[in-house]
Amino acid sequence: MKNILLVDDEDSIHLLYREELEEEGYTVFSAFTGEEALTKLNEADINLVILDINMPGMNGLEALRKIKELNPSLPVILSSAYQEFKQDLASWCSDEYLVKSANLDELKEAVKRHLP
Amino acid sequence: MPELRKDPILGRWIIISKERGKRPTDFIVEKTNTKSGFCPLCPGNEKTTPPEVLRYGLQSHAANSPGWTLRVVPNKYPALVIEGELGKVGEGLYDKMNGIGAHEVIVETPSHEESFSDLSIESMTNVLFAYRDRLIDLAHDPRFRYVMVFKNHGKAAGASLEHSHSQLVALPILPRMVVSELQGSKDYYQYKERCIFCDIIHQELRDKVRLVCENEQFLVITPFAPRSPFEMWILPRHHSSSYISLDEHSYALLANVFSECLKRLNTCIPNAPYNFVLHTAPLRSQPLEHFHWHFEIVPKLTQIAGFEWGSGFYINPTPPEDAAKYLREVKL
Repeated sequence: MKNILLVDDEDSIHLLYREELEEEGYTVFSAFTGEEALTKLNEADINLVILDINMPGMNGLEALRKIKELNPSLPVILSSAYQEFKQDLASWCSDEYLVKSANLDELKEAVKRHLP
Repeated sequence: MPELRKDPILGRWIIISKERGKRPTDFIVEKTNTKSGFCPLCPGNEKTTPPEVLRYGLQSHAANSPGWTLRVVPNKYPALVIEGELGKVGEGLYDKMNGIGAHEVIVETPSHEESFSDLSIESMTNVLFAYRDRLIDLAHDPRFRYVMVFKNHGKAAGASLEHSHSQLVALPILPRMVVSELQGSKDYYQYKERCIFCDIIHQELRDKVRLVCENEQFLVITPFAPRSPFEMWILPRHHSSSYISLDEHSYALLANVFSECLKRLNTCIPNAPYNFVLHTAPLRSQPLEHFHWHFEIVPKLTQIAGFEWGSGFYINPTPPEDAAKYLREVKL
């Protein structure tokens, strides 16, 4: 069983992604801020992180750099509604950058690539 | 009374608000953390970047592994893509084409803490060589017409990672600013049969009121109509339209003045954010009598707001003559 940490400040994203990812056989842990994500990473054995960028407090790019500092080999997929964060070189710390879409096939394929 | 000044090349007007004349100590710049987590540009993390397209350093080390002194990598998440045809089409009166281009990042030093102005002359010369080498290589691609080389230093200037790096974007079109600069200098040449930049150099060396520093091949001035306080231009004394035509040993002399003027800026206004841009002739262009390659360094010390966007005017609270004096007289 593989564990995914989903970090997003929107409840609706958690509801949607959790259902789809659990159907694929993953266990989904939730965090709503960057700070909470760092705490959850210390508490559970996480195999992959799906990380939003625009969040109150520590944004996703700051959280990403801290996550990779703790564990450089932990795969992180950035999932943002915005393309423009691609221009921020901090996004290079991620393993993939996906723009949020109602169709979750792209996300599920990206997860499979990193959790074969 | 404020003064309106006209840029003689672009015809752009700016406002010098003399009575608000700001001194270096009036600009307070917050220092950014030098380390705030994992850095994809640091040695040992080469796997987090796309494979390098240029590398300087120890030959004994494998590509995409530590041992480099400088590396150039394509953008991991590029806004423009390298593969494909231009596919130019018209849609009614509107023109469009595929988003073809090359976007590369020049990692200037393996050290995370060193800023561009801290680099040794040898390291800075390598950065300047890397710009040349990438310009020469990208000129082989007939789809590209221009390569914009630039650096963002400091958060306010758009730098998102502290690790010192610059960037280049190869474009299938000539940017509007480049066209305006080429046209403005051509208009002057057709009227006076002289390069406007050569005339600026002659006048600035004679008057010395906007001269910041110089050596046998280059000079640094604060331009007559600067967009930003402490804006500086680095110009070669001898006429040349293309950066890549500079001879091998001159790059170290360029690094010398580059380093000196940035150190002067950093001493006047510690941690001043800035952008610099290389202005050079389009790719594969014949030598141009009317154009003169140069670097423009624009500190990010003022806000660009509605008036500036609407009018194209910039309001500059520090006259360039004052800025040059501060920069010249500061103790290094």
